[in-house]
Amino acid sequence: MIKLLFFGRLGDIAKNAPASVDAATPAEIRDLLAAEFPALGRELHEPQVLVSVNQMIVSWNHPLADGSEVAFLPPVTGG
Amino acid sequence: MNIKGKPDQLSHEQFMRYSRHLLMDDIGEAGQQKLSHARVLIVGLGGLGCPVALYLAAAGVGHLSLCDPDRVELSNLQRQVLYRETDCEQFKVDCAARELRALNPHISVSTYRSEISDALIEGKASVEGYDIVVDCTDNLAARQLINARCHEKRIAVVSASALGWEGQLIAFDFARHQRLCLNCIVDRDAAEPLQNCSNAGVVGPVLGAMGSLQATTVIRILLGYFDQHGEMQRYDGKAGRWLALKASAVDGCAVCGG
Repeated sequence: MIKLLFFGRLGDIAKNAPASVDAATPAEIRDLLAAEFPALGRELHEPQVLVSVNQMIVSWNHPLADGSEVAFLPPVTGG
Repeated sequence: MNIKGKPDQLSHEQFMRYSRHLLMDDIGEAGQQKLSHARVLIVGLGGLGCPVALYLAAAGVGHLSLCDPDRVELSNLQRQVLYRETDCEQFKVDCAARELRALNPHISVSTYRSEISDALIEGKASVEGYDIVVDCTDNLAARQLINARCHEKRIAVVSASALGWEGQLIAFDFARHQRLCLNCIVDRDAAEPLQNCSNAGVVGPVLGAMGSLQATTVIRILLGYFDQHGEMQRYDGKAGRWLALKASAVDGCAVCGG
């Protein structure tokens, strides 16, 4: 299983999302979540959303190992 | 340096002003001299740039250049702590320079009433001659321009951003590292997100926290205490939570991977 973490305002939107899923890549997790939680899916498809695996920023097609923690981080662009 | 090539001596007034630095073994007089000889360009004088400029001026960073095209608006005053209500409609860089000179008349301050651009960065505000560029901008195009030019010129960049309750900090010590840059993490062709501070809001002290961390990072780099090239710090002010993330260089990155 892959543990999920939704950082910042994504946590407010992902309140009903599962704590863990089975998936091969972060992109697959995004698709799974988007199918069940459309509002969350829209946020995860925003430009500049970052994804990390075990505290390392990775691409959306990064292969996942069982037991990994995947974190989704919304874009923060203001100054 | 003085004309004999020896470090300048701090004056009595400077000893008093910077005494809390001088008391610290890992700053001391040598560290204060490094700060006083440093040249820093701050791009963006909004919610991040204000605390960055205030703390660097107070710390005695010798030269600050300020770049921002905007004028002060009433809606800025909730978070942009350098400005007063009477500053509305004045250029931010002019008001900021006035406050910084009043805070510390021993530093020099120059101002650019314009967006950061290729023309500006190659000309009057050329990144050459700066030790560090502090990215306090609010859009990806400006951030990517700063990233590319500073990488090219091997100038360190300290970048931050904020939105709502959240903040982000990342710094690239391009003087020491040539691989891993902003473009490895956020594609420069990525669209701007729908949410920004103008339409989604931002908590003032979150900007203050991130700006203070930028200033701290500038001081760390200047004193040789920075070893977190390309590491990202994320802050969720609503949950009171921090997250530290590492990143890796992308092969073929258009900026750093050639």
